[in-house]
Amino acid sequence: MKTRFLSLILACSVSSVLVAEDTVITLEFPPPKVTSTPAPINLPHLELPNKKPPVIKVPTGVTNVAAGKTVTSSDEWPIIGELDMITDGDKESEDGYYVELGEMQQWVQVDLETKTEIYGIGLWHYHAQPRAYLDVIIQVSDDPEFKSGNTTVFNNDHDDSSKMGRGSDPAYVEKNHGRLIPGKKATGRYVRFYSDGNTSDGLNQYIEVEVFGRSVE
Amino acid sequence: MKTTLSELDSSHWSRRGFLKTGFTAGGMVLAAPTILKAQGTGNKLNVALIGVGSQGRVLLDSLLNIEGLHFQAVCDIWELSRRYGVNRLKKAGFDPNGYEDIEDLLANEKDLDAVIIATPDFWHAPHTNMCLKAGLHVYCEKMMAHTIEAASSMVVAQRASGKLLQIGHQRRSNPRYQHALNNIINKAQIPGRITNINGQWNRAVSEDLGSPPRYAIPPATLKRYGFKDMHQFRNWRWFRDLSGGPISDLGAHQIDIFNWFLGTGPKSVMASGGSDYYDTREWYDNVMAIFEYDTAQGPVRASYQVLTTTSAGGGYFEQFMGDEGSVKISENPKLTKVYREDRAPDWDKWIDLKYLLQSEAAYPAENTTVDVRETAPLVAFDLPVVLNKPLHQPHLENFFGAVKGENKLNCDGEHAFASEAAIFKVNTAVAARATIDMKPSDFIA
Repeated sequence: MKTRFLSLILACSVSSVLVAEDTVITLEFPPPKVTSTPAPINLPHLELPNKKPPVIKVPTGVTNVAAGKTVTSSDEWPIIGELDMITDGDKESEDGYYVELGEMQQWVQVDLETKTEIYGIGLWHYHAQPRAYLDVIIQVSDDPEFKSGNTTVFNNDHDDSSKMGRGSDPAYVEKNHGRLIPGKKATGRYVRFYSDGNTSDGLNQYIEVEVFGRSVE
Repeated sequence: MKTTLSELDSSHWSRRGFLKTGFTAGGMVLAAPTILKAQGTGNKLNVALIGVGSQGRVLLDSLLNIEGLHFQAVCDIWELSRRYGVNRLKKAGFDPNGYEDIEDLLANEKDLDAVIIATPDFWHAPHTNMCLKAGLHVYCEKMMAHTIEAASSMVVAQRASGKLLQIGHQRRSNPRYQHALNNIINKAQIPGRITNINGQWNRAVSEDLGSPPRYAIPPATLKRYGFKDMHQFRNWRWFRDLSGGPISDLGAHQIDIFNWFLGTGPKSVMASGGSDYYDTREWYDNVMAIFEYDTAQGPVRASYQVLTTTSAGGGYFEQFMGDEGSVKISENPKLTKVYREDRAPDWDKWIDLKYLLQSEAAYPAENTTVDVRETAPLVAFDLPVVLNKPLHQPHLENFFGAVKGENKLNCDGEHAFASEAAIFKVNTAVAARATIDMKPSDFIA
């Protein structure tokens, strides 16, 4: 499905396209698709609908540096899908476009291949049904094992059930728009995305991640 | 995720919720389901899942919460879905065989007890009938079929087989719906005399489903199984030879509740609709129907709309309106409320008995003024029943309980047919632009 509703301002969804100074990251996204009966969502820290994405200004040279990069995961045998789908630029939510990892906390990790200053992150879980993913945590590190030197840029584990520290970010309902997350100018070579199931099932689906940054090596 | 009794927290729903609280170390947890479920079949029921598309996966997520099942095989013509089913079950500790063709499955899997059918509607009857004939108990998704004749054949096949046939109108096993019918409406008679019903399932605009080229089904395979191409395969719900369209796909859930709660089918159906918005879809993308019932209490008139271009009105619910109160119910607990008319007798007894809960916003603010030409805001109540499982799980549990002889089916083929008979007539009424009268024999297969 090639249709796109909106392009980045000065188009920055593809790594080869540069973003001019003081432009704003705006995610491009596919049309909405709706399947299946939605399960009720009742989370105490669910944000209000239609919250506008943050305004993230970026300087010259910032691109989606995750495009085409290698992805690894905590689940050696995903139920369906290939890990390279997560950085292939396709954000459709239908069968054949997403990777589904097993139950409990799982993660996917992008190797940016070089130490990178990160301005923003785009994240698409499964979005063909209203649902919220649980305990979404995003960290940046130079350690591929994420044992030390980690910077957390997003954490909505409000009750610290993941035992990775309590987060103050809200839970949110997945939509075709994806989620734009400030990168806080964190630096590191690796970006890891955690989740722990969702409000429809206990599984962890990933469609696409984008990392807007520039090498600092 | 922490939960309280007052919350319907989705983390209660799955093994995830259990495992997350039952174990602490991530590595240990991943192995746990395999260890628990791979231990022999013993007295377990051998089950096959026929159809692993979106609905099949929803059912599978519930099935994996039910103890005593051994998943022996999955079947789907799409390699992607078949692989999904096999891998999902392997992760849960089973080792199922995958089949493209159901006849191959039935020929090879000799010790099955039951099948779960979640194929496109036009395959429901052939698949159900061949499984019943093979001596298997069948749980088949609703709508029973894409035509009333095919639905009737399923009841006939069930009678001949002596096996069980449960149809997937899952609300019939939802404890909140059962409480609303058995206690609120029948016992406490909270609504008084029910005079009208309103229901809807409104959904925002959604594009046709697609699929990546690398997962395309060979044209010969598509043709063998009744599909013109991948687009039709992915969007079968919109094609007249394959489905009954939104009134069947979505409306069936709720019109079934009309009939179940009233204990009878309608005496007539009138409807209007059209294929007005989407260029690629054959079936009506919006339908408005009116059903007329004769009940022991008197006439009841019910309106129902299914719209696929707007989610206006809060999505999906059914509201039973009487002269003393109304019961608005939905699978979404946030849309469930009971409203009291001023003329109703005191409901304190039912609150004391925990039939109802005083809603947090039960009474209008004291300084609220009401224009004499308006009706004052109604006092609202909540239902105290929480479903802390996936929506389809209780209905599947009811099916397997019946297979084991522990309970009766909540929606067997006969009752499902009696309820669906009127739903089949809606599209007919739209096409004819006429009122369709129904007689008692129409509800019997």
